[in-house]
Amino acid sequence: MLSEAMAVLGKELTGELRSRVALNAIGLFALTTLTAVAYQIGPYRIAAEDRPHLLAALLWIILFFAATSGLARVFVKEEDAHTAKTLRLAARPEAVLLGKLLFNLLLLVALEVFIVPLYCVLMAYEVKGVAGLVLVLALGSLALAAVATIVAAIISRASGSGTLFAVLTVPLALPLLVILIQGTRAAAESPDVAAVWPALRAIVSLAGVTLIASAYLFPVVWHD
Amino acid sequence: MPQADSIFWVAAVAVVIWAGVFFYCLHLDRKVRELEEHE
Amino acid sequence: MTDKRWLLKWLLGVWLAVVVLGAFFYAPTARGFKGESARIVFFHVPQAWVAVLAFCVNLIASLRFLRTRDPIDDARAASAAGLGLLFSVLATVTGSLFAKVMWGSFWNWDPREVSIAILLLIYAAYFALRQAVPDEERRGSLSAAYAVLAFVTMPFLVFVVPRIYWSLHPDTLLNARGSIDMESRMVQVLVASLVGFTGLFSWLYTLSVRLARIRLRRQQGVEG
Repeated sequence: MLSEAMAVLGKELTGELRSRVALNAIGLFALTTLTAVAYQIGPYRIAAEDRPHLLAALLWIILFFAATSGLARVFVKEEDAHTAKTLRLAARPEAVLLGKLLFNLLLLVALEVFIVPLYCVLMAYEVKGVAGLVLVLALGSLALAAVATIVAAIISRASGSGTLFAVLTVPLALPLLVILIQGTRAAAESPDVAAVWPALRAIVSLAGVTLIASAYLFPVVWHD
Repeated sequence: MPQADSIFWVAAVAVVIWAGVFFYCLHLDRKVRELEEHE
Repeated sequence: MTDKRWLLKWLLGVWLAVVVLGAFFYAPTARGFKGESARIVFFHVPQAWVAVLAFCVNLIASLRFLRTRDPIDDARAASAAGLGLLFSVLATVTGSLFAKVMWGSFWNWDPREVSIAILLLIYAAYFALRQAVPDEERRGSLSAAYAVLAFVTMPFLVFVVPRIYWSLHPDTLLNARGSIDMESRMVQVLVASLVGFTGLFSWLYTLSVRLARIRLRRQQGVEG
């Protein structure tokens, strides 16, 4: 099962590295939003007492919307290119889900590695607990990728449009976003990793629950 | 007192709204009954 | 048999009429609430309760559909969702009217307010998905999948987020409702209202399912 999943992941990666469509889409989206925000708001325009809230929230807005612009591709392109049927025959559904989930996760991580440091510099975001922030970002990406991947699978079997993807993802991702923003705030304000612990617990359980539900639901969605 | 008076109006409106909804639901129920018996 | 059903329906009609009158004239004005504004609680709470009840009914029907693939189960899920959408709109509107009178603004981002709004978004997303799928069986399985997914993520917003996200309004509706301060007359009206609204939901739901059954029989009659 694992080797099949890795094969799917490998296929996704090679395809992506060749054409770089998803990377460009999310990268460009994030960069544009970041530039707009940094230019208009920058390090000086927010009052000191509002900074913790706003900076954490803005970061996740940028990341989240960039993600919605690119994470659905993973399934939609299969349907569009009519390669979906072949994939159904070639690999087990669990392997397909895992492979594509890992791909989306890597995409998100790549996005964060690029955007987060840039954001901190441009917005003069002082992060005291870097380890905490890394944990929040890593686990948060897993949870976000989990939600996005199963929703992408669902909409690829519907009309596959980007709007439908956003409409379906928002209600599911909102609780996660709130927790992520809270966790980011906690990480920024305290160097102690324990500060992000409540948020991490919530993120992990949400990711766990989503992954289990996806494992159960994906075969249904995939094979219909 | 205007305060006490207006509560009567609000209550009246609420009852009227409910009556409207209720009779409409009865009407729908009757229609569904007819469709069911028609089969 | 049918006579008893008509009797029950008329009883419901009278019951809720009495509840409405009781909400305005029997129940006293609550301490700490502005004037008569507390009375809206007798309608708002049951509406929110029905929205959640509909969510649960939808989940059960969705799970059944995934197992049986019987179109009637999909019809049940859709009927429950339709009523859930209606009642969550009502609950959000009444809640926000109450918030305006009590706290001065229509929306306060209190976690409970946000939960009902998110439930609303979930229902809206559910119907957006259904509209995007022309094939009936696929529509059933995709929307069932989404419903299950939504159900597993909801508890996080309702239970987890309030714990790590401090609400600015400590006397949320739940506290106001559950506190020992509430006089017995208010409890009586509230419980009666809950029963009445549940009865109303039950009636509307059964009507909707009966109609769907007729439609399905007609379809099968035409094809068979």
